[in-house]
Amino acid sequence: MNLDAEQITSPSLNWQKVSPWALVYFVMYFSVRFIKDGLFNLLPVLVVFVTQVENKLFWGQVALVVALVSLFIYCFLYYRSFRFCITDEHEILLNKGVFKKERLTLKFSRVQNVNIAEPFYFTPMGLVNCIFDAAGSVAQEAVLPGVTKDYAQQMRKHVFAYKAQQQPSAEVADTAQSHIEEQSENSLFIPNKEIAKFGLMSNMAILALAAIAPFMNVAIDFLEQQFITKIEGFYQQELGMVANAAVFAVITLIIALVFIAVFLSVTMSLIRFYNYQLYFKNKKFKRIAGLLERHQLSMSLDKVQSIVIKQNLVARLLQRFTVECLQASSGGTASMAKKNKQTLVLPVLTQEQVDGVCQWIYPWFNSKKLAFKKVEWALLYKNMVFYALLPSVASGFLMHFMQLNVLISLALFLLLATLVFLSYIRYGYYLHQQDGRFYMVVRKGMIGVHYRVFELYKAQSARGVSTYFMRRSGLKSVYIQLAAGGAFVPYLKQHDADFIIDFTLMQAESDPRSWM
Amino acid sequence: MFTNQQITDLPQHKSIVFEPLADKALLHAQLNWLLFFIPFSLVLTAVCYFNPDFAAMAQGYLLVAVPLLILLCMLYSVFSIKLQGSALRTHDIAFKKGIIWQQVTILPLARVQHIEIHRGPIERKLGLASLRLYSAGGMSADLQMSGLTHEKCKNIRQFVQSYRHDETSSEVLASES
Repeated sequence: MNLDAEQITSPSLNWQKVSPWALVYFVMYFSVRFIKDGLFNLLPVLVVFVTQVENKLFWGQVALVVALVSLFIYCFLYYRSFRFCITDEHEILLNKGVFKKERLTLKFSRVQNVNIAEPFYFTPMGLVNCIFDAAGSVAQEAVLPGVTKDYAQQMRKHVFAYKAQQQPSAEVADTAQSHIEEQSENSLFIPNKEIAKFGLMSNMAILALAAIAPFMNVAIDFLEQQFITKIEGFYQQELGMVANAAVFAVITLIIALVFIAVFLSVTMSLIRFYNYQLYFKNKKFKRIAGLLERHQLSMSLDKVQSIVIKQNLVARLLQRFTVECLQASSGGTASMAKKNKQTLVLPVLTQEQVDGVCQWIYPWFNSKKLAFKKVEWALLYKNMVFYALLPSVASGFLMHFMQLNVLISLALFLLLATLVFLSYIRYGYYLHQQDGRFYMVVRKGMIGVHYRVFELYKAQSARGVSTYFMRRSGLKSVYIQLAAGGAFVPYLKQHDADFIIDFTLMQAESDPRSWM
Repeated sequence: MFTNQQITDLPQHKSIVFEPLADKALLHAQLNWLLFFIPFSLVLTAVCYFNPDFAAMAQGYLLVAVPLLILLCMLYSVFSIKLQGSALRTHDIAFKKGIIWQQVTILPLARVQHIEIHRGPIERKLGLASLRLYSAGGMSADLQMSGLTHEKCKNIRQFVQSYRHDETSSEVLASES
């Protein structure tokens, strides 16, 4: 095996050191961790520094030098103690830690994916980070930094070959069959111009703003002192708008902030999905994307718990969709899995591209042609009363007491009623059988649309919910919990709801395939 | 696309016979309410004692509202406990609850990730326990059953564990054959 790692002889285990270039990875890793976690804890010290220390520049420089030297010493010691070993029992062992020595044992059988990330600082040396993803747990993630690309790819093959051996006979037969019917490789490339649109569609701007939330008060004070007064002065002097100068200044600032947020969002999308390449062959996805770090994610279709195809308001205007393949998230929600990079995201797809991707994975899925079964009218009546009529009546009283035009409430009712109606007509479900496998598609949305596609046997639990009035009308809502997210279908006829619950349970309990 | 009519022998969850909670479950629920209301009433009394203006304004209402609230909560727990029930089937476990929104949750035993038995001081005194069953994906327990006897909780845990053990063994046998 071609290893770019110094071999260390040991009587029992073959412990190996990673390349010295891995030191760069450790410096980056601990710097990011310090900024993300450590800086917030240092806020009290920062407050004392700002309010109590007189010679801020000098002491600030001293603190910076001390912090940098400590970081480098810590990273060097961490690198020195970092050892890994691939045992004969098909495990990865990691020894790491400076003050607290840690031994991480990760069995090949528990590895879900072996991902290869190529950070920009490793590109000249041709090195990569080899990331072993365990089933849903971040704490159990093992990273081998600064190994050669060949070694990482060999490791991936080695792990998957072992996992294929360990699969139950039914799955092995399935895999064998798929090997016989060797598929041609499908691919999808998304231009960076399209990726930038994802920045407009996604809520990444909000994430960027959330990151600065702890400093919001300081930021607002700063903005007021630095910008609002200056912009106000500009309007007063240049345009002579004395009366409205303050209002215009605030509006200008808000517009500028929105532009900054959008710019940040677009930048973050480009960093994450730059030069997006997706390949699909033999029921396996391989995605390569990223600007600062070329991240290679591989995912088997069998590991996908549910597939979400969604289009929000902005995406609808841009006529684009986002597809997400969600994996199991142990003890957390789907959003947690997303954070842990266990979700394969296909960020900006046109309708044709969505249909194309669906042809690879679920050839039967065509959102336009599927005959979705609608939910009952009672949902529309209930939502009309609770979400349109009652708020409008309440606002009518408010308008009356405030001596404003009551017609505003009528307009509000029309708006809310339209939204309630749109939401009602979006709700629907579809059951499908293909080659002895049973699938469910749940559709919801309002102005946009959201589909969740999953195999019924992957369900974790099923729940039926009904109120007194629903029972009297013979109605029931169904919730199916999945290992990543869940599917909720409200107001179905009771016998349909019972059938979905019973059939889902039968699939989950009788299918011999592993849901994970 | 398949229809309901194609499958005739589907096991139906509607026919599950739910077992009621333990006899002392109602007492446990009511003691829990009292544990909330005793400090709550003491706080209100202290406020009235130290703030005569507030006492003059609200004392009359509070003397009617607080006992009424306690009574309502006691009545609520009577109905709530009556409507709760659990059932163990060969391959899954079911629990029903709820007064306004009645829920029946069914968790296949093969999907149980881990089980916890919790016993607070009152539960220990009354010989009761709470059982929590976790599957993948949920933020908290998928099934949380309070008001069961400790014995029953242990039996359910044993049943689930032996089911999982049997399943793992059969998987290993299948892969070896």
